[in-house]
Amino acid sequence: MIQYVALAAAFALSALVGGVDNAFAQAAFVGTLALAGLGLVLIVGLSGQLSLGHGAMMGLGAYAQAGLVGMGIDGLPALAAAATVGALGGLVASIPGRRLGDLGFAMSTLALALVVEEGLLRLAPLTGGAAGLVVPPLTVAGWRLASPVAQAVASLTLLGAALWLVGRLRNSRLGRAWRAGRDDEVAAAAVGIDVRHARLLAFVCGGALAGLAGGLHAHWLGFLSPEQFGLPLSFELLVLVFVGGVRSLSGALWGSIVIVSLPQAIAMLRQALPGFELGAAGLELVAFGLIVVALVIWRPGGLRPEGR
Amino acid sequence: MLGCTIRTASLLSWALIVTVADAGVPGVTRDSIRIATIQDLSGPIAILGAPIRDGIVMRLDEENARGGVHGRRLTIAVEDSGYDPKKAVLAARRLLAGDNVFAFVGNLGTPVVMATMPLIVGAGRPHLFPFSPHQATYQPLQPLKFQIFAPYRDYMDAAVRHMVRANGYQRVCLLYQDDDYGLEVGRGVESGLGRLDMTLVERTGYKRGATDFSSQIARLRAARCDLVVLATVVRETVAAMREARKVGWPVDMLVTASGYSAQTHELGGAEVEGLYGVSVLPHPYPGTDTSRRLGEWIESYRTRYDADPNVWSAMGYQVADIFVQALRAAGPGLDVAGFVAAMEGLETSRDFLGGPGYRFSPDDHLGNRRGRLARIVDGRWRLITDYLD
Amino acid sequence: MFAQVVVGGVAAGCVYGLVALSFVLIYKATRSVSFMQGELLMLGAFTAVVLVEALGWPAWVAAVAAVAASFAFGLVLERAVLWRAIGQPHLTPVLLTFGLGLVIRGAVTSVPEATHRMHRLPLPWSRPLTVGPVQFAPEHLMVILATCTACAVLALFFRHSRTGLALRACSEDSGVAAMLGVSPAAMHALAWALGAALAAFAGVLLAPVTFVEPGMGMVALKAFPAAVIGGLASLPGALLGGLFIGLSEALAGRFLPDGVKDLTAYGLMLAVLLLFPRGIGEIGRRQ
Repeated sequence: MIQYVALAAAFALSALVGGVDNAFAQAAFVGTLALAGLGLVLIVGLSGQLSLGHGAMMGLGAYAQAGLVGMGIDGLPALAAAATVGALGGLVASIPGRRLGDLGFAMSTLALALVVEEGLLRLAPLTGGAAGLVVPPLTVAGWRLASPVAQAVASLTLLGAALWLVGRLRNSRLGRAWRAGRDDEVAAAAVGIDVRHARLLAFVCGGALAGLAGGLHAHWLGFLSPEQFGLPLSFELLVLVFVGGVRSLSGALWGSIVIVSLPQAIAMLRQALPGFELGAAGLELVAFGLIVVALVIWRPGGLRPEGR
Repeated sequence: MLGCTIRTASLLSWALIVTVADAGVPGVTRDSIRIATIQDLSGPIAILGAPIRDGIVMRLDEENARGGVHGRRLTIAVEDSGYDPKKAVLAARRLLAGDNVFAFVGNLGTPVVMATMPLIVGAGRPHLFPFSPHQATYQPLQPLKFQIFAPYRDYMDAAVRHMVRANGYQRVCLLYQDDDYGLEVGRGVESGLGRLDMTLVERTGYKRGATDFSSQIARLRAARCDLVVLATVVRETVAAMREARKVGWPVDMLVTASGYSAQTHELGGAEVEGLYGVSVLPHPYPGTDTSRRLGEWIESYRTRYDADPNVWSAMGYQVADIFVQALRAAGPGLDVAGFVAAMEGLETSRDFLGGPGYRFSPDDHLGNRRGRLARIVDGRWRLITDYLD
Repeated sequence: MFAQVVVGGVAAGCVYGLVALSFVLIYKATRSVSFMQGELLMLGAFTAVVLVEALGWPAWVAAVAAVAASFAFGLVLERAVLWRAIGQPHLTPVLLTFGLGLVIRGAVTSVPEATHRMHRLPLPWSRPLTVGPVQFAPEHLMVILATCTACAVLALFFRHSRTGLALRACSEDSGVAAMLGVSPAAMHALAWALGAALAAFAGVLLAPVTFVEPGMGMVALKAFPAAVIGGLASLPGALLGGLFIGLSEALAGRFLPDGVKDLTAYGLMLAVLLLFPRGIGEIGRRQ
């Protein structure tokens, strides 16, 4: 409960300092990144694999969404398609897992992410390539979700639904297979669990969530270019799930709040401090990096270790 | 939780609407004007963002030292996007509501500009002179969007035509950076050649951060190019020239304004001698043939920032300067409509920095389309033509 | 012309290989993937530039000092932060190095002189070397020679010095090595320090080619494919992987359609991962 009170207070403060629109826009991005982060929790936290290319799955979803909406398809079916494309991306990403050790596999996800980025650049007739792609506001059954409030509501509603769904999934047969495979692969195989298959499905589900998140994200940004979905985003997502707690579903939300709002808070703080108002922007990066390091050292379980 | 926050937020938003309504014109008080710029100060093009910011801030402070515009001091909020549009969107929202700025000046980077421009224009604030080659920054005509940077596709078109006519090239080729910048330059070169009934003989790309250009140069050489247009930035310009000279290929090269920098000959030395370049704003060289005013400007920049100004600092300065001129023209009773009207009637003359005069009108918000040719002779850029049509 | 393209590719490949080497060295000894090698490379180059421009040191002294300073910096980072990654999941060092990389990049970009212009290191000689029809640019020649020297020194170190043997033993089996009197903690620190020094070395060599600026660490993105192609756990493999990528890129840039060049490294990496998960060395071993 205390966390939620603190959260509401933080939101109110942010709205007071940066304006209501900014606070809701933050909430909208928190929602999409948390969705993608939830997918990564499935892969990293529940099934015990390491993906270094999760941002690319988001990119696939974002471009699928932009393409479909551009063809005049309604936002909702387009989002479903974006999630499907993300799931397919996850499926492809998981294939090398059958042959490689855990770290080699992680490197293969990195390679795939780089190939996706390059591919988005090359498929210029579809993606706009280097020139980028303008995305109109999300329209669902005639409703235009252009205001930050509407965006935040859409983001958080889908996040809530996804949290509920993944919560169910975690306690299902598949969820147990993930955890069994993560904790002891040999033992899991001995009791007849197909660990490989379960791990593949983790990537598919994680990819679907990332694709869905990417679809929303595309609308919140309004402009896509391939480099936005490069390695920095994948790392941002990894930091996000780690900060929240890799094994905690709601951790994705808390991590996302930190990832989205912390740089904002640091920027506001810098401008409030006399002497730092204009110069030395690199210091924001230093502060953010130090906080990441400090969290990894002192809160290795994340903000919500093994939470709900 | 959501319901609670929405209620809090709606209360807050009412409070804000009331305060905004009280304040009249956003960002403007009786004695101050607040504006904003979103730069890349820590991302992949921080090497441009930092001097741009410094140029802008320097011009505003000069104006403040003289008592401000119509008695109003100018303050600026500088945000670092790190080239990340998500951060830029949040920064823009914050600046629009929280900081309540009057206008955005000189935002940097196409993804950043394209993601934030609709929000800024949607909130009724002027979006001025962004550093992005994207056409949407001035077309289609929109009351609040103004641009001063000549589009690559316009001035490269003219520059290539001039080069071909003057020097009789037969086989023109392109080495381009694989992004929106390279794409825009390619369009300009192709359109210029098209007007002369020629086509591009060979094109080859590279990625930002590439280290080796031997394969590209070999490819261009094999295509027997006699003019290579470079859609490169400083480092790659030097690398391409150096590679060609190393293998004994004396081909002429023409670089865009992004490679027109003192750093090109500082780093390239003898190997970049003879390189042609397009300049949309001359580099501020200290020394004998500069005006006294330019010399003072360079000196005061140096004292202030402990670094030499470059062409990006000059562009930042120029951006702020045009903004200040428009503010002055808008008169003491400042509001957005008055400012836009002043912008649309603005016609600046060439200043000590040597930039072109900029001219805006109600049906054209792009202040300049032209560049001029320069060439590296004896280790510095010499302008060899006037602004080309 | 063909030979010229090969020389360019080899020189680029040497740099990829050196960064990959630093990456694999750390990986082998600590089971950690370091995502700050690009930043260490950039920091090393900037250190050399500062020594030359501010203190007026000769370039080669500055280069040696920068590599030594980077070694020390690696030690400090390990003692302060990175030792905590011992025995943790892979994600821990990934995030620690990512965070440290941000700190390094932020610190460098907050120095005005670093973001206002590119810097260069003067080369010890400036005349290209001509062998038959092929021109060796001085900076390429230096990269190639220095890489060969570095590899020879490393080979001697790992084969014949006590410390080198201990480090190798520790990478193979730290438990057994500990029983033989090797301190795993000291070896962990040594690996990070060596990794940092190698990255700085690559940075100093790259300085005359790409000049020194905050974004120069991007070259490390090519080191990952190089390391993977080399099999992730083999030092000679990493270097060969780098050369392989450098050469393939150069040849693709010359002879294949425009745009293929930039996909080469990652395409090769995916292909190797799928076909020869333990690196191209495996091809030889199979026969």
